[in-house]
Amino acid sequence: MTQKALKIKENDVVGSINDFLRQLLSSGKIQALLVPQSTPSKKVVYPVLIADPKKLHSDIIAPVLPVATATVVSKLTKVQPPSKPIGVVMRACQIRALVELVKLNQASLSNIIIIGVDCPGTFPINVYADFPEKKTPTHFLLETLLKKTKDADQYLRSACHVCKDPIPTNVDIVLGFYGIDLDKELIVEAHSEIGRELIKDIPLEEITDDKAREKAIKDQREMKDKQRAVFLKDKEGMKGIEKIAEFFDKCVNCHNCRQACPICYCKECLFDSAVFDAEAYKFIRRAENKGLFKLPSDALLFQLGRMNHMILSCVQCGLCEQACPNMIPLMEVFIPAAENAQKEFAYHPGKDKAEKIPMIVYREDEFLEVGEK
Amino acid sequence: MTKKTETIGAVAVIGGGIAGVQAALDLADMGYKIYVLEKSPTIGGVMAQLDKTFPTNDCSMCILSPKLVDCARHQNIEILTNTTVQTLEGTPGNFTIKAVKKPRYIDIEKCTSCGSCEKVCPISLPNSFEYGLVKRKAIYKPFPQAIPNAYVIDKEGDGKNRGCIDCMRCVKECKSGAINHEQTPENLSLQVGAVIIAAGSPPFDPVTKPEFGYRTYKNVLTSVEFERILSASGPTQGKILRPSDQKHPTKIAWVHCVGSRDASVNHEYCSAMCCMYTAKEAIIAKEHASDIEPTVFYIDVRSYGKDFDKYINRAKKEHHLRYIRSRISEITEEPKTKNLNIKYEDDTGDFKQETYDLVVLSVGLCGAGERRNELMDLLGFDANEFKYVRTSPEDPVVIKPGVFVAGSFLEPQAIPESVMQASAAAANAAALLKDSRGTLVKEKKYPLEKDVSTEKPRIGVFLCNCGINIGGYVDVPAVAEYIKTLPDVTFVETNVYTCSEDTQKKIVDAIKKYDLNRILVAACTPRTHEPLFQKSLRDAGLNPHLLEMTNIREQCSWVHMDEPKKATEKAKQLIAMTVAKTRFLQPIQEAEIPVLQKALVIGGGIAGMTAALSLADQGYETVLVEKEPKLGGYLHNVYYTVDGIDIPKLIKQMTEKITKHPLIKVHTESQVKSLNGYVGSYESEIQTPKETLSFTHGVIIIAVGANEYKPHTYHYNKDPRVLTQSELEKDLSVLTKEDIHDGETFVMIQCVESRDEKRPYCSRICCMQAVKNALKIKELNQRAEVFILYRDLMTYGFKEKYYKDAREKGVMFLQYDPEKKPEVDSKNGLIVKVHEPMIGDQLRIPADHLILSTGLQPNPDNPLIGKLLKVPVNDDGFFLEAHVKLRPVDFSTRGVFVAGNCHIPKFINESIYQAQAAAARAATILCKPTLKAEPNVAFVDDDLCSGCSICVSVCPYNAIERVEESKKEKTVIHAKVNEGLCQGCGTCVSACPSSAIQQRGFKDKQLLPMIEQLTKTK
Repeated sequence: MTQKALKIKENDVVGSINDFLRQLLSSGKIQALLVPQSTPSKKVVYPVLIADPKKLHSDIIAPVLPVATATVVSKLTKVQPPSKPIGVVMRACQIRALVELVKLNQASLSNIIIIGVDCPGTFPINVYADFPEKKTPTHFLLETLLKKTKDADQYLRSACHVCKDPIPTNVDIVLGFYGIDLDKELIVEAHSEIGRELIKDIPLEEITDDKAREKAIKDQREMKDKQRAVFLKDKEGMKGIEKIAEFFDKCVNCHNCRQACPICYCKECLFDSAVFDAEAYKFIRRAENKGLFKLPSDALLFQLGRMNHMILSCVQCGLCEQACPNMIPLMEVFIPAAENAQKEFAYHPGKDKAEKIPMIVYREDEFLEVGEK
Repeated sequence: MTKKTETIGAVAVIGGGIAGVQAALDLADMGYKIYVLEKSPTIGGVMAQLDKTFPTNDCSMCILSPKLVDCARHQNIEILTNTTVQTLEGTPGNFTIKAVKKPRYIDIEKCTSCGSCEKVCPISLPNSFEYGLVKRKAIYKPFPQAIPNAYVIDKEGDGKNRGCIDCMRCVKECKSGAINHEQTPENLSLQVGAVIIAAGSPPFDPVTKPEFGYRTYKNVLTSVEFERILSASGPTQGKILRPSDQKHPTKIAWVHCVGSRDASVNHEYCSAMCCMYTAKEAIIAKEHASDIEPTVFYIDVRSYGKDFDKYINRAKKEHHLRYIRSRISEITEEPKTKNLNIKYEDDTGDFKQETYDLVVLSVGLCGAGERRNELMDLLGFDANEFKYVRTSPEDPVVIKPGVFVAGSFLEPQAIPESVMQASAAAANAAALLKDSRGTLVKEKKYPLEKDVSTEKPRIGVFLCNCGINIGGYVDVPAVAEYIKTLPDVTFVETNVYTCSEDTQKKIVDAIKKYDLNRILVAACTPRTHEPLFQKSLRDAGLNPHLLEMTNIREQCSWVHMDEPKKATEKAKQLIAMTVAKTRFLQPIQEAEIPVLQKALVIGGGIAGMTAALSLADQGYETVLVEKEPKLGGYLHNVYYTVDGIDIPKLIKQMTEKITKHPLIKVHTESQVKSLNGYVGSYESEIQTPKETLSFTHGVIIIAVGANEYKPHTYHYNKDPRVLTQSELEKDLSVLTKEDIHDGETFVMIQCVESRDEKRPYCSRICCMQAVKNALKIKELNQRAEVFILYRDLMTYGFKEKYYKDAREKGVMFLQYDPEKKPEVDSKNGLIVKVHEPMIGDQLRIPADHLILSTGLQPNPDNPLIGKLLKVPVNDDGFFLEAHVKLRPVDFSTRGVFVAGNCHIPKFINESIYQAQAAAARAATILCKPTLKAEPNVAFVDDDLCSGCSICVSVCPYNAIERVEESKKEKTVIHAKVNEGLCQGCGTCVSACPSSAIQQRGFKDKQLLPMIEQLTKTK
């Protein structure tokens, strides 16, 4: 790994990063960059694929994640990956999701340069769009969260509040700010040969304190681990079908969560299909069976079915929760479920492309207690 | 103009054990008419009586029974039970067999095997299937899965007990009128082109060895009797109880080599399978009851087969089998407790005595041999010194032209060898009769299929009483009334036996009369009966897959005999569920896979050459690919054999036959570069020294051989006096008497870097190679000294005689403990040091030559070849067949077969019959112009499939691939099922998160209605 420092000019972190990205794009070594960039209204940032450096005005630290970047990269690469490199700027959770999608043949990393960004967490999209503070969310973040005042925590999405891994892995380049004095510089790490090649001609400087970042990351993890432990302990009571049913009471079967989830890759969700369509008499018969029949009938089945399909690959990005119109705190169920299920298979989604998804691995000694002795 | 054939396209198979059944099925599949002549009332042989099989611990009956059913169902096989051969006359291609078929007194067409006759029969006789451990009636069915699936009357009794007394109670009881006490013997005269003798050999009866107390002491059993005790369907339902007091024994001893390796009964040969089944019986016994303490008294543990050594190690380490190396002298009984005392001499020479609750005598398949001798006399076969039929090692399954042999009639042996020989015999018969193939078999013509796919369902339901098997517990008329109320049910009928021939006519008539388009039979299991009813649908012009079955016997009446009311309710619900599915049945057309009637054989050693010749002799064009410049393979490292094969002559003859054969094309110095396709239509690229050739073919035989392992220990390669066995053999082949001086000492060490953690398999051939070379040395100079330091001497079967020969000629055999391996000092002359338990100290042998037996190692390319051909290799690097017992030359991947040393190391005759077996199995595919794929294959909905390829990964048959297709100018990625490879297991369906892959006959929209029906409350 090569570590360099990007000097912050005129106290403008966002501008300095953009200068760097423009230099990358202008170098001719990549043909386009996928970056989070504000919509004209400035209400939100979206992934934007930029070919002309002049059009680049990204805000890669803006604390918001409206859509799954992994899904966007899947769209870009699944049918046919690019013939020349393109750079994609992503947060850690989205890189993990992308690795899962690669394993599931829904995306390709061919000619994809991953530029990871240290993630201080993101705010719900509505909080970001109508931010209650006087500053922009990005400035608020820079001033509070990164300077270790805790004020920003109050706005974090619950998934980010307990995120155990905000540092990108499986990347070519990392733009880092943990353990750095952001008034002065930003860290640029090259993790791969191609990463080194890309930053080679961009003017960067030696970093001043290479131990500080390590320590800051360690501190951040310890803090998150504590918050996570509290969170998981609080959710221990979520067991049994009655509790689960009660939890999903507000679900209106809109399937927004599945739309937002980077792992849900089916072209057509079984629950959107005609499988559950039936003649009126069947519904009436079901009503007659028990005297009553709740409609739509398959909301809970959908939630559990979806969980069954994606939970082993769940990277805990929390986009499902953000997408829920009725604000069901889905992380309270999905984080413990993911932790437990992944532990059973000793599986680490997003960690390593070579680690096979449990569904396709057969181990003779697995779950002996379930079968015959 | 019809082609005039000089041979008869029929084969008689004498004996209906596993060997006979395999030979019959192979030849019947190839298009020959088969007569199976079986002396007893059922086919199945000894294998039907076994509980489990080593080394996989599969249930013996469970793996055998489907083969028996296949045999019974096969339109080209006629099973003649109670039939004994009288004479065999004629010439190869045209024999006449005269035989007598004793009366069964039962019409097997009418008998439904309901068992009511048995209940009223007053006569009890010892049940011979259970070795007399329990009784049976005079009218009986040998065992539940007997084929023919019919009763038989024993009129003769067994000498001590009288048989049937003609009381006629059974006649009154039988509702299908199947019993006929007036049947008389029938004289049969069969015209056949070839004969296969697979008459087997009974287990040894230890009554002739009084020192073991068999039949004197109640708690001394034979191993075959113990198999029945272990069997869940046996006399004790699998509970281990000893005969004297029906109490559970804990201390059980097994005694090896009872009736084999024993000069006192003239059986100076090894029975080849007893060491392994003993370990199996002990392991299974421990699985039944963990408090059992098994002890095995042995001479050698002959674990020479595939994965056998690992099995024995597991037996010792995990199941704590205690092995004591000793030939026991006597068993005595304690009169009060009926416990048994065993006196034995341990390896230090001390006499000891131990007490056991039960003793099991491991008897070989080397019984008195009366049947064998009788048949051999009758048919005029030449006998060897063991009174077994003599064949030559180059033609191991040929008794004489047109007469072939397989199984333990030839030599005591385990199941896989029997199965291989059976297929080899089939290959030989098929080569002889190739011009008359298909002349005596008839293909059934069916009416055109009516398209009912869009019609509203009109379901016909046939409810079976199965005599009283169902009707006695389930209120069948009440069930019928209920079923009539279900949607789309047009017609309901109840039958005494739905499977009977007259009901088949009724089904056909009802389909026509009521215009039925979906059929449901509620009876027994589809496993045995589905094809029968499917044929009835075809007779009526319906697609056979418009049939569903509900099992209301095994899954209802038989398990709820105590609760008839609830059983009736359950039957209603089960059938209602099936009706719910039947409404959504759709016709299925199996894909027809065209078969290119050509073969590719990879490897030109003895196995590959034999396979190529066998295929070509059967009329199939064959390409043989060999990577070396010359054919012959490992034969070039063999200089002489104990059984007198002239190796150079063999290579020369085979090479000549192959190069002159018009149907064989040989490519030497060549390799298969790539392979595409599947069974029936492969395309391979062969890299020859000159060019890359493309060859299309239907099957592949892998025979890539193995090499001698070169050791890294015992100063090999450093000291010129240290050689491997093969290197010694090469030297000995050119030496003369003068070259070896008196007292010149050869020390051979067996199992060098073999049977250890790194190479945990026995190479099977090295003990014999040592014995062979020792005999050669003694032949050159009787006064030379030969020591063989061994662990277990694997001279199984008739090879035992060479071991004895060597001992008599003064070869010294010293057993060593693998924990105390021999050591070699080479400073001042070679000194071999080995621990000798009798003297309790190290023995120092000054040696002139040190010979290392290292065994064979698999070709290092095997994993690559395996990947190319989609077939597995085992942990040791040898190819892994589909089933170690019953499919020893097949792979799970259809169309690929294996033979020779790449399967496991083996002798030349074994490679020859395995190669012929592979050729026979391959020919069962090549003989037909097309293959039918599985009906219930998976299929993909491209619109739903995301191409994630989970299904590709989980498919055990490599039948699914991810494809990119252009659709309306867009690239679409999806999974695609190869119907030629799909076996319809459904694994992909359950793995697909998108429900994009479904299985014909088991679609969601067929299964979900069943669940809905079941969960419906009234």
